Amino acid sequence: MQDNYLAKWLNNELSEEEIIQFKKTDEYASYQKIISASNKLKAPNFDKDKVLKAIENEKYKSITPKVIKLNPYTKLIRVAVAVALICGLAYFYTNSLDETISTDYAQNDEVVLPDASEIILNAESKIAYNKNKWDKTREVSLEGEAFFKVAKGKKFTVSTSQGTVTVLGTQFNVETRKNFFEVTCYEGLVSVTYENRKTKIPAGSSLMVINGKITPISQIKTSSPSWIQNESSFNSIPLEFVLNEFQRQFNIIVNTKNIDTKQLFTGTFNNENLELALKSISIPSQINYTLKKNKVLFYAKK
Amino acid sequence: MNIDNYSNVCEEKIYSHIFATNSKTIFNYIYYKFGNEEKAYDAVQEAFVKLWENCAKVIPSKAKSYVYTIANNLYLNMIKAEKVRLKYAHLSPDISNETPEFLLEEKQFHKKLENALAALPENQRTTFLLNRIDKKKYTEIAELEGVSVKAIEKRMHLALKTLREQIDGI
Repeated sequence: MQDNYLAKWLNNELSEEEIIQFKKTDEYASYQKIISASNKLKAPNFDKDKVLKAIENEKYKSITPKVIKLNPYTKLIRVAVAVALICGLAYFYTNSLDETISTDYAQNDEVVLPDASEIILNAESKIAYNKNKWDKTREVSLEGEAFFKVAKGKKFTVSTSQGTVTVLGTQFNVETRKNFFEVTCYEGLVSVTYENRKTKIPAGSSLMVINGKITPISQIKTSSPSWIQNESSFNSIPLEFVLNEFQRQFNIIVNTKNIDTKQLFTGTFNNENLELALKSISIPSQINYTLKKNKVLFYAKK
Repeated sequence: MNIDNYSNVCEEKIYSHIFATNSKTIFNYIYYKFGNEEKAYDAVQEAFVKLWENCAKVIPSKAKSYVYTIANNLYLNMIKAEKVRLKYAHLSPDISNETPEFLLEEKQFHKKLENALAALPENQRTTFLLNRIDKKKYTEIAELEGVSVKAIEKRMHLALKTLREQIDGI
């Protein structure tokens, strides 16, 4: 008998002989009884309408568009949030910016820092510091010249392009001009880092670097820089730096002719009286000058 | 009705036609498998809702196997089959000339058959009942189950053999 002959039998696929052979078997009667009984079997009733109804419900659900409620204020709120955000960012940005104070020719300015330290700016100078970070780091960057009265507290740092000055609480003057760097300490102790070299300057002395050359620490007699009293004083300083200072104090263009600007100058000139100042410079140096409007020409005596 | 003239089954006519011709078979098929009417209803519903949702993507000639596959996959991991309870088509009075002994014997035989059917492996029972009750051809069952006709013949043969052995008490 072939494979799966029972299945073939049910499907009327058996040959005549096979059927005869099958009918002879003992099991045939049983098989026939099972088949005739199973042909009377019924599956449970299937309620098509019930399912159709359920499907229709689902269909309706799936085609119902999603409803998005329009809130008339949503747009307004969005704009408000955006504006608030921009304002906030701008506030933080400007806060994080450094506070900058600068002076022009013939100008002095006095700055009081958040911790009551004072800075007096000489002509054509600029300082910058961060107001918000002041509690954490007392740091001021300086271009030009300024006198510092530092309140006692954490380390106070003055950074310049030429060197860094750090102190705890003192009074000192820092001047940083082209090829000229001078730190004068009037009270306390000042530490100056110049070209990675640390120098401690005690009260009443000053450190000077001219054209990259460090001059030894020298004593000073005054208790504050002379420019605070509207005088510029010099002690063996090359004439060119004196003239530069003069130019800054009076906002006057200085020209020279046939004179040695390297010669050393010791003396003082008044920062307010031009005539007096011109004389203060020219007489000790034995040079002449002519003044035309805001131009002055220094020339050698013949 | 030639459903192949349409490119998808979104048309109400096509959809109803596919439902009318296949829903009962799917229902029975799941019922034979698990013996649970509730689940069989859910399977039919699920399969046809899915067909509706994806009607644009299903071409009519593939709709039948699409719904079968979904119904099939729905209970792929269903735990255990409950007992399959089937009714006898005739307990009608037109055979009242039978002797009470015969009726009793027939009732007992039905009981035995029902137990034997419940004891069959699920795939043999499903195949046997689809063929006997739903008059499905082997090729159709093969399509439904996703196996070859030969495999269905084998199941059919084994089902009948096992039923006899059970009933005859071998």
